[in-house]
Amino acid sequence: MLEKRILFAATVFILAVAGVIALTVRLFGIGLPNCLTDVRPFREAKVIEHAPKRYEIHYVARMWQFEPADVSVVPGSTVDLYVSTADVTHGMQIVGTNVNLMAVPGAVNFARVKFDRAGDYLVVCNEYCGVAHHNMAGRIHVTEAATAPPKPPPPTVPLMRGQKVLDDNGCTACHSLDGSASPGGTFKGLYGSTRQLADGKTVTADDAYIRESIEKPEAKLVKGLDPIMPALPVASDEITSVIEYLKTLK
Amino acid sequence: MNRQAIEPSLKKIILFDILLPMVLLILGIAMGFLQILYRAGVIHSRSFLGIEYYQGLTLHGAINAVVFTTFFAVAFGHAIIRYYTQKPLLLGWAWISLIAMTVGTVMAAIPMLTGKASVLYTFYPPLKAHPAFYFGLVLLVVGSWIAFFSWIPVYRAWKREHPGEKTPLALLGIFTTFIVWFIATIPVAVEIIFLLIPWSLGWTPTVNVPLARMLFWFFGHPLVYFWLLPAYVMYYTMLPKLTGGKLYSDFAGRFTFMWLIAFSAPIGIHHQYTEPAISTTWKAVHAFFTLLVAIPSLVTAFTLAASMEHGAREKGGSGLFGWWKKLPWVDTDRWMFSYLFAGLFLFIFGGITGIVNASYNLDNVVHNTAWLPAHFHQTVAGPVFLAYIGGSLLLLTTLTGREVAMKKLNVWIPYLWTFGVMVFSTGLFVGGVAGEPRRTNLGLSYMNPGSPLYQPQWKFSRLFGSIGGTIMFIAMLLFFVVFFATALRKKTREGALELPVSEPYHDEHVPALLSMRPWIVIAIVLLVIAYTAPFLELAKARYEGAPPYAPDNPIAQTK
Repeated sequence: MLEKRILFAATVFILAVAGVIALTVRLFGIGLPNCLTDVRPFREAKVIEHAPKRYEIHYVARMWQFEPADVSVVPGSTVDLYVSTADVTHGMQIVGTNVNLMAVPGAVNFARVKFDRAGDYLVVCNEYCGVAHHNMAGRIHVTEAATAPPKPPPPTVPLMRGQKVLDDNGCTACHSLDGSASPGGTFKGLYGSTRQLADGKTVTADDAYIRESIEKPEAKLVKGLDPIMPALPVASDEITSVIEYLKTLK
Repeated sequence: MNRQAIEPSLKKIILFDILLPMVLLILGIAMGFLQILYRAGVIHSRSFLGIEYYQGLTLHGAINAVVFTTFFAVAFGHAIIRYYTQKPLLLGWAWISLIAMTVGTVMAAIPMLTGKASVLYTFYPPLKAHPAFYFGLVLLVVGSWIAFFSWIPVYRAWKREHPGEKTPLALLGIFTTFIVWFIATIPVAVEIIFLLIPWSLGWTPTVNVPLARMLFWFFGHPLVYFWLLPAYVMYYTMLPKLTGGKLYSDFAGRFTFMWLIAFSAPIGIHHQYTEPAISTTWKAVHAFFTLLVAIPSLVTAFTLAASMEHGAREKGGSGLFGWWKKLPWVDTDRWMFSYLFAGLFLFIFGGITGIVNASYNLDNVVHNTAWLPAHFHQTVAGPVFLAYIGGSLLLLTTLTGREVAMKKLNVWIPYLWTFGVMVFSTGLFVGGVAGEPRRTNLGLSYMNPGSPLYQPQWKFSRLFGSIGGTIMFIAMLLFFVVFFATALRKKTREGALELPVSEPYHDEHVPALLSMRPWIVIAIVLLVIAYTAPFLELAKARYEGAPPYAPDNPIAQTK
């Protein structure tokens, strides 16, 4: 019966595929993340250089950023990556490598990767994690010069409307525009006001303060607010348009 | 078999089961079209026409892949059971099933449409939807169970009246469909009822996310066989007849169905290869079982090609390839052929890329990239979707006694759709291998020249994705025109039920394939083997629970 021979051939083909996969695991060591139960979920990001070209990075994925956002290592480095999430489920793919990990609440994921080629590797969140999921990305710079990551090129687009920038980046999730109570404080009346900082100092909310607060949210913490704001990849001119917009929210 | 007059009440039920999701599908398809505009960077915005990107994506998945498919499978099941047993169905239960499914759909639709359930159709916790969304899903599933249970006594009675007769392949296929569905939906019911609903109502503060994910994928993969099986029923029981021939092998059909009962469920972890909390041993076991599920698809590919060749040779075709000319490519009387054949063509690529996804460590390259939607638009949006929209049109015409409107246009729609899917998928496959993520509003970041994240190297894939997606959208607009024009035209005769029925060419007697019972037992044994250890691993590790999060707020919703 021809159909029985086809069934036999199909089975042989499938077993051959399984065999090839098993060989790649055995011979080349290309595996999948295993179950880790001896590492507690962590909330603190770390880059540890154990030895030259030997790193350990603790990534914290959170809505909507990776911490650390930028890491520099020298070519030829072997890096152990541990990934934990501070909130929802995230994905973490280092484009151009075999690193593709889910960050699942409650558990820690692990992969080891060797960076042979120099270059800027994009780290993408590839699991939906909320309204600003598309902004969640980081970089790994593999460069002989190590440490100082190159600045992104200056943006070339015309000014975008500040309100749209706030909306697109999910800012209004935590910052209300109308003065109502919100986790990150309202934007209404923010510009030009005096801010009480956690370290007891005060600062005026001027252009420089707002720009710094978007680029480095942890630099000047306002008293009473949690240090949870992500540093979003917003272009310089977009920040300018946000500042112009905030000036209108009296 | 001939035309059968059926009860007016059953006719109403089947037509409602088809028309409601068809109307919703217009919205689902429109949302699909918007996806490609956002992703190509044509729309640089968080929302368009008042619908936010991820809200639209949720609607696209929930309507097209859950609501439309479940309603059609139930409608098709009613029709097949009625037609092949020639016995009246339990109409009271069929009405209850329809009402439960409709109420469930409305309950889930309201939070989705008002932006309170933008959690995508996989609803992964700890992103939380409005409780009505979860209740709606439960009702939809329970409604489909009621229909399934109501067919069992009808089938039993048929067997009593036909002792020693083989169950017709179509009946076997429908029962396979719903056995797979029943096995699949138990774990997701457990996830929704015991984990997500109490948590979304605030009765439990946290949810065990690794456990919820394992229960979801325990459901998530047999789900795709639930989608595929009604299409297989059409392939095995209608396609050979449409080509003018016979089903090459009855054995192949029975083998395929029984094998899918056994192997469609113990393989869900192949969706979780890149996750923590599951050991590589069990990932490998599920990988192996997943590959075994490809066997019936390979057998099906052979059997259907052989059946089509038989039909074409009966019609006078000859030569090694010459018989291809005798297939009813654009025959307006046998228009269903074009829907089924176009889907089969897509399934060749969908099947091969499915083997890639299942191949354990290869998943590192493609997991959660654009590769995945490319794959499932060649499967779910390929053979499944084409068989379902073709099947909907077929049931509409036969039950209402109407002829298909715009016949010439109609036969070309599946080919246009298939061309669109091929272009679309080519783009997404290429983008996926280059790291382009799925489920992402690329227009705001990676496809926005003003963003520091701009990735110009993904432009090629976006171009193909948007051209292909536009062709798919046009094909569906044409389909809606044909479908609703058919529904609105004058009827030419009394409505009745008439379906193409293929006879077997080789009618082998294989006793092991005659009864579903041993295969259900094998399925249960395999499930116990495949899932006991992974669940015990989860229980032992005691993962910390997660509080609920709204998609638009990085701060947990705790009291």
